[in-house]
Formats: sequence, structure tokens, C-alpha cells
Amino acid sequence: MNNLLHMLAGLAAIFLFYFCGEMLVRVLALPFPGTLAGLLMLLAFQFLRRKTPVVLISGGAPLLRHMAMLFVPAVLGVGVYWQQINENLTGIGLAIIVSTTVSLGLSGWIAQRLLQSVAVDSEEDPGL
Amino acid sequence: MTVVQAFNDWFASVSALVVPSFSATGLVWISITIVAYLLALSIARRTRGHPLANPVLVTAVITGMVILISGQGTGNYQHEAGFIHWLLGPATVALAIPMYAQWQKIRELGWRLVLAVFLAGVIAPLTAWLTVWFYDAPLAIQMTMLAKSITTPLAMEATAQINGIPALAAVFVITTGIVGAVIAPGVYHLLNVTLPQARGVALGAVCHAVGTAKALQMSERTGALATLGLCLNGIMTAIILPLLFA
Repeated sequence: MNNLLHMLAGLAAIFLFYFCGEMLVRVLALPFPGTLAGLLMLLAFQFLRRKTPVVLISGGAPLLRHMAMLFVPAVLGVGVYWQQINENLTGIGLAIIVSTTVSLGLSGWIAQRLLQSVAVDSEEDPGL
Repeated sequence: MTVVQAFNDWFASVSALVVPSFSATGLVWISITIVAYLLALSIARRTRGHPLANPVLVTAVITGMVILISGQGTGNYQHEAGFIHWLLGPATVALAIPMYAQWQKIRELGWRLVLAVFLAGVIAPLTAWLTVWFYDAPLAIQMTMLAKSITTPLAMEATAQINGIPALAAVFVITTGIVGAVIAPGVYHLLNVTLPQARGVALGAVCHAVGTAKALQMSERTGALATLGLCLNGIMTAIILPLLFA
């Protein structure tokens, strides 16, 4: 029961940061999205407190762990825009599949060259 | 905008998204999505996290099949499951938590990390744009493609500012993320990218939140670096694109 309350309080806190972010970008007419402002404020809050309150950790966990589900409505937009996509299928398909593969590989390789010397522990990642 | 105007503006946009979900049919579609997601998780577990059993992909395929059978159309689904889409906003904000947890490790990497993210943030949209440009796609699609590597809410706002198509940006962004998450293990193996930090930075910068979800599966550090890649590249691209093309 206590865990549930922690989670709800944490969710409420995260929603509050999200809300403040959305308000801030509107009031100050900032050129970037509200979620980004919310994220930066939550980050700043943790720096000020010098720790992450337990409540925030239990509130953030369900959102972060199940983020995959939240993308589903956006993915199914493929159906809505099929006409436009179909007209340019080769270009779009190649841009998304080939260019993403090449960019990911190249970026990972560059990042490894750049970071190798400063990364303290470069042990093999066991989770792959 | 005054605070009251800002509130009304925000309230109207959230209402348009969320209210249809709290109808009888909206709740049915949300339940279907949750069941599809649970099935996808169990498939991922049974195949021991095989890249093709990516939860986003599998959930979308199952839900898509139900939509097809019901004959309701994906437009209707998007409308009624808007609450799920809205939750992406708070979830993006929550990414600050793993980022803070790994801050010490991130700071040690310094400017090299920023440079790595910057290069990834230039390579990904440039190669994608060259491809659609080569195939002579309409300008709106070319513009939309430029934002494909940043997280959905940022990409939608950025494409709106450079005369792309925001809803199409969401599709490009997510499919890019899925492709990246599916091929990441293979590509990293091929190019011998073993450093968790490098794996994370590239996944986050090129494949945004879907890539970050994959990176979190690899390890907490990979996930934190991916979050950083996602945030830095998201900020960078969302600010630079409107300056270049608006």
C-alpha cells in the first residue's frame, strides 16, 4: 500500500514538472518543447537536492519501464499516412532502414574512438 | 503569453488528445493496447530478447491486426488512444531521473561526449535527407526526415516550424527507433563497438527514446548515456533546424 502511495506521489511530482515545463515555454515563448523544459527542471531539482527523492524513483519507474507501450499510437500513424508514404516508399524506406543502420554504426564507432581513452571501465557490456 | 493564456492553450491541446480516451470505446482501445503490450513482453521473454521481438514493434503489429479486423481504421485508433500518446510527455520528463543517477560517469567524459553526440546528430539526418532528396521526395517529406532522429514530442514541434508534417514526423521517428533497436546488436557486433558508453551515446542520439529503451535493456550505464545522447541531440536539433530552415 505504501509502495502504491509512493508511486502515485512520484507520478504526481513528475506530472507537475511536465506541467511547469509546458507553462514555462509558453509564457517565455521559448523555442523548444515543454517536455524538454520539464526534463531540465527535474534535472536541476535533483542537483539542488543533491539526490533523487525515493518518491520520484518509484513514480518514474513505471513510465520508464513501460515507455515502449507509449509509442504504439504514433507507430500506427503509418496507417493514417500510408498514401503519402507509399508514393515515396523507396526513398523513405531506404532513408529509415539504410541511413539509420549506417548512422548508428558510424556514430557508435566514432563515439568509441572518442571515449575509449577517458572511459574508466570499458568492460564488456554483459546485457547484450 | 500570460500565465492564464498559457494554461488555456496547454489545457486545450491536452484535452483534444486525452478526452476521447475516456469514453467507452477509448477505454476498450487502451485495454487492447495494454493486452497487446503484455503479449509482446511475454514473447520478448520467451525469445530471450531477440531483436525482432522488440516490444514496440510487436505491440504495434498485434494492435494493428486488431484494428484491421475491427475495420475501425488507424485514424480512429490514434484519436481514441490519445491518452497513451500523451503519457509520452511525462515519460520524457522522467528521463531526468536515470540521467542524474549517472551524472558522475557522464561528467568524466566531458567534451568528447558532446562532440560524439554532435557528430551523431549531424550524420543521421544528413544521410537520411540525402536519401529522400536523391529519390526526389516532396520538400515537406525532406524536411520531415531531418527530424527523424530526435524524440517524438521534439520532432513534431521542430517539423511544424520548418514546414514539415508533424504527424508524419512521429511515424518516421518511431520507425527509425525500431529499426535502430532491432539492428543495434548486429551492427555493434560487426563494427566491434563494445564500450557501453559509446553504444549508449549512439543509440540515444540516433534512435532517441526507442533506442534508449533498448539501451536500458543492455545496462544501466548504456541507458544513462543513451538518455544523455537523446537529450543533447534533441535540444541541438530542435534549436538548429528552425534556425536553418524556418
